[in-house]
Amino acid sequence: MSKHHVSTTVNGDAVEFLCETRQTLLDVLRDELGMTGTKEGCGTGDCGACSVTIDGRLVCACLVLGVEARGCAVCTIEGMAEGDHLHVLQRKFLEHAALQCGICTPGFLVAARSLLERNPDPSEEEVRYWLAGNLCRCTGYQKIIEAVLDAAREMRGA
Amino acid sequence: MAPAAPARVVLTTGFSQRYTGGVKEFSIEAANLRGILKAMDARFPGLGEILEEETSIAIDGEIHELLYSQVIRPGCEVFFIPRIEGG
Amino acid sequence: MLTRTNNADKELKVVGTRPVRPDGEAKVTGQARYGADYSAPGMLWAKILRSPHAHARIRAIDASAALALPGVKAVLTGADFKEQPFEYVGPERVAVNYWHMTRNVMAREKVLYEGHAVAAVAAISPATAEAALQLIKVDYEVLPHVIDVDAAMRPDAPLLFDDMITRGIEPAPAKPSNISKRVEFRLGDVEAGFAAADAVVEMSFKTAPVHQGYIEPHSCLARIGADGQGELWSASQGHFVVRAYTAKLLGMEIGDLLVHPAEIGGGFGGKTVVYVEPVAAALSKKTGHPVKIMMSREDVFKATGPTSGASMTVKIGVTRDGKIVAGQGLFKFQAGAFPGSPVMNACMCAFAPYDIANVNTIGYDVVSNRPKSAAYRAPGSPISAFAVESVLDILATRIGMDPLQLRLKNAARAGTPTAYGPRHAHDGYAETIQALQLHPAYKAPLGKNQGRGVASGFWFNGGGESAANVHVNEDGGVVIATGSMDIGGSRASMAMMAAETLGVPYDKVRSIVADTGSVGYNHVTGGSRVTFATGMAVVDACNKVIDDLRGRAALIWDVDVAGVVWEDGHAQPASAAVGDFKPLSLAAIAAKRGVTGGPIVAEAAVNAGGMAPGFATQFCDVEVDPETGAVKILRFVAAQDVGRAIHPSYVEGQIQGGVVQGIGWALNEEYIYNQAGRLSNAGFLDYRIPVASDLPNIDVVMVEVPNPNHPFGVKGAGEVNIVPVMAAIANAIQQATGRRLTELPMSPPKVLAAIDAGA
Repeated sequence: MSKHHVSTTVNGDAVEFLCETRQTLLDVLRDELGMTGTKEGCGTGDCGACSVTIDGRLVCACLVLGVEARGCAVCTIEGMAEGDHLHVLQRKFLEHAALQCGICTPGFLVAARSLLERNPDPSEEEVRYWLAGNLCRCTGYQKIIEAVLDAAREMRGA
Repeated sequence: MAPAAPARVVLTTGFSQRYTGGVKEFSIEAANLRGILKAMDARFPGLGEILEEETSIAIDGEIHELLYSQVIRPGCEVFFIPRIEGG
Repeated sequence: MLTRTNNADKELKVVGTRPVRPDGEAKVTGQARYGADYSAPGMLWAKILRSPHAHARIRAIDASAALALPGVKAVLTGADFKEQPFEYVGPERVAVNYWHMTRNVMAREKVLYEGHAVAAVAAISPATAEAALQLIKVDYEVLPHVIDVDAAMRPDAPLLFDDMITRGIEPAPAKPSNISKRVEFRLGDVEAGFAAADAVVEMSFKTAPVHQGYIEPHSCLARIGADGQGELWSASQGHFVVRAYTAKLLGMEIGDLLVHPAEIGGGFGGKTVVYVEPVAAALSKKTGHPVKIMMSREDVFKATGPTSGASMTVKIGVTRDGKIVAGQGLFKFQAGAFPGSPVMNACMCAFAPYDIANVNTIGYDVVSNRPKSAAYRAPGSPISAFAVESVLDILATRIGMDPLQLRLKNAARAGTPTAYGPRHAHDGYAETIQALQLHPAYKAPLGKNQGRGVASGFWFNGGGESAANVHVNEDGGVVIATGSMDIGGSRASMAMMAAETLGVPYDKVRSIVADTGSVGYNHVTGGSRVTFATGMAVVDACNKVIDDLRGRAALIWDVDVAGVVWEDGHAQPASAAVGDFKPLSLAAIAAKRGVTGGPIVAEAAVNAGGMAPGFATQFCDVEVDPETGAVKILRFVAAQDVGRAIHPSYVEGQIQGGVVQGIGWALNEEYIYNQAGRLSNAGFLDYRIPVASDLPNIDVVMVEVPNPNHPFGVKGAGEVNIVPVMAAIANAIQQATGRRLTELPMSPPKVLAAIDAGA
C-alpha cells in the first residue's frame, strides 16, 4: 500500500510528508515530522492533550487524519512562542505554577489561545467550560484557570 | 560506671507471632541500633536480617529507617513497625 | 545523617518564595521530552498482545504467522523471560515477589485478567506490529472468573492460584483460597471500650477500584546490546527502581543498565512499578535494535494497576460528651491478579488521627481477576478513611456535637498511642482542625438541597534513601543533581533549598535530574518523600561544599580554616582578628579552584528518618439535585499541616490536585465490568475524571508546624490531601439529602436511588 504525499503548512512553514491512510495528524506530527510537543493521552479525542488548530479551528489531532491536513494551516505548541519571546499564556502558566507534570500543558496552551482569540474577556465560568475538553490530573485546574484569566487581562492591556 | 537504662524494644503482634513465639517486648542495653539488632539476633538467630529487610523503627514515636549508627538513648522505646511506602 | 538544622531565627530569602521552575520553559514550549518522545536510529516499534479473557489457562501460543510477516523482527512470550524464585522479598508492607512480577509483565501458565500481556512483537512500524498481533494464535481454556472482593473470598470462588494459602493466620488454613494475607492491629480492649460507650454505630461500606488517571500512558525506549549492556529511557517515578526491576527480570547486572529519566506525565503511585520496560529491553536484546513501546489508553485501563476496590465494616463507640472509646474496622481489599493491595496501610491509618484507647483493625488482601493493584496517593488510607470518617459523622450528629469539635476533642498529638504500636511524635493535626473552625465559610449559611460535610485524614509520609551532587561551575554558578524524578516541581524546591543554604540567588542554581550512572541511588518519587529526604541530601551536599569553600578561602588568605565563616554566599573572616580580608564569592573562589585543589564538588547521601506524618482536615459544601441525583461541589476548603512550604505554589498545587482526584473518586470514577469480566469503560469518555467545569476553586489553608528533623522544617505534602475527600462529600450529601451513602462512587443514579428510597 503506497503512502500519500501531503503538502501543508505547520506553524507558518511549508511542510511535506508521507503518510499511510490510517495515520492520524497526531501520528504524523510526532512520528513523521518529529514534533513531539503535541502529546498522546488517549488517542480517542477524550483528553485534549493533542490539541492543535487547523485553519484556526481547535481540534484533537488524534481525530484528524494526516491526509486531511493537505493545504491547511496547522498550528502546534512548537509555534506558540515568537522566537525567544514566550506567548503571554506561556509566561502566565509559569508564573502561576499552572503545571505540575506538564504533559497536558501544550494542549491547554493551544486551547486557551484559541479561546482568547475568540473571546478576549471570558468569565471564569466561560474559561472552565471552554477548557472542559482538556484533562489535567495533577493540578485540579485551579492554577490553570488563574493563569488564563491573568493572561487575558494582560492581553487586553487591562 | 552504672549501666545505662535499657531500651524498651517492641514488636508488632503479627511480627512477634511469626518470629519470636509471640513475645512482643524486650529489654536491651545498647548504645546504637547495631547493638539492638545484634542482641535480637543472638536471641533469635536470623532475626537481625529480617528486621533490617522488613521494618522501620519508631524511636519514642519518631519514625526512622534502620541505620546501624542510629543513637539509642537510655530508656527510649524502639518500636519495629512495618516499612512504609507511598504513591 | 542529618548534619545541622538551620537557625530558626535567620530570615529566609529564597525558601517560601514562588520563583519559576527551572524546567518550566521546556514544558510550556513542547520541548520537554517525556517517555514517548524519544527515538533512536534503527528503532523498532513494539506492541503487546493482551488477553481477551478475565481468567484462562494458556494451552499454546503459535506466533509463526506473525514471525513470517515482513517487517516483524521478533516475538516474545512468557517463556522468553527467565523464571524467578517464588519468595516475598523486602518489607512485608510492600513485599515484592519476582515470581509474580515476571508473570504480570508477561503471562505464563494462565492469564489472570482481561488485558494481561501474553505476547509482544517488535516490527519496523507501528502498523506492522499491530498487524502481527492479529496473526498470533493463542489457544485459551477459558476458566470461571471472579472480580468482586466479597465474591472472591467465598469458599466456592474460582481460584486464581491453586496453592494460595493465606498468610497471617495461625494455624495456616488447610485449603487454598484467594485470600493472600490477613493482618491485624490491636490496642487495648475494644469490647470493653464498646461496653463503656453511650453511642455505638456499626456500618458497612463498599468502594470501587479507581485508576490513578495519569494523562501520559506508560512508555519507554530500550537499547540493549549483544554484550548485555544497555540504556533505557523511561517515564517512571523512580528510574533506580526501574533499573533494579528490569535488570532482575532480564537477568542483567544492575550496573549494565543505564536508565535515563524521561519527564513523566503523572504517576501518583502508578508508575513506581514496571510494565513495558522489561518487554522493550527483552525485545531490544533479541533484535539488536532499539525498541519503543507506548501503551494505548485502553491498555492503561485494562492492564495497569489501579487501587483496590474494598468491602469494609467499621464500628465506633463514643461517650455522650464526645470521647471516642473504641474503634474497630474490618477491611477487605482487592489486590487484583497478584497479591499486594494496600490493606495494611488502611489498617494502620484508619484511626491514626485519633486518641483512642481501644482499637482493632483487621485486613484481608484478596486476589481477583483484574489488573494487579498499584499504589495510588496515600495508598489504602483514603479507602479506610471513607468508612471511619463517615461513621464519625453519624456519631457526631447522634450526640449533637459539631463534627470539627468531635475531631478536636479526640485529636492525636505528640505522645498519643497508635493502633500499630508506637506513639505519635508530631503535632499538626489539631492545628488543621482549628484552622477550619476559624475559616469564615465554615459558618456560612446554606440553602435548600445543600449540605456541609467534614472529614480528616492521616498519611505516614516517607523518608529513605536519596543522594545528591553539587558542583560549583568555573564562574561560580552551581548545579545540583539528584536522582529524584520531578513530577510536580521538585527541581525548583531543590534549587531553592540549595540557594538558601549556600546564600546565593535562586537563578545562580541549576537543578537537574541525573541518570542512574551519574548520581547515587535515589528511591522513588512517591510517598511524599522527595522534598523531605532528597532535600536533606541536597542540603547536606551544599554544607559539604561550604566546608570545602571555607577551606579554600583559608588557603587563599593563608589563615586557619577556623577563622573563616560562610555568610550570605561569601567566605568572610570570622572576626577582625583574623585579618582585613574582603569577602570571597563563589565566583572568586571558583576562579582560584586550580591552585586550591581542583574542581569544587560534593556528594551527599541519606537514609532519611525523622519524617513527620501528614494530617489533613477538610470541609465541603454540596448541592444535590433531587431530580437527577447530581452532586455539585459548591465549595471545598482543605487544610493541611505542611511543616514548611518551600515553594508555596507547588504545595498548594499538590493539595488542589489531590482534592480533585478525591472528588472524582467520590462522585464518578469506577471500573465497570460486564458478565464476562471485561472492562466496559476503558477510556476517558466513560471513565469520567473531573474536568474544569465540574469544579469550584479549591480553597487551600496551609498550616505550618515545622518538622524539627529537617533543615527547613519540611513535612511531606503530596498525598494526605486525598484521604478525607470522599467522606467529606458523603457527609455533605447526608446533610443535603438526609441520606447516608455507603458505596463509592456516589454517582447520580445511586444518589437518586437513595433519595427515592427513604421516606
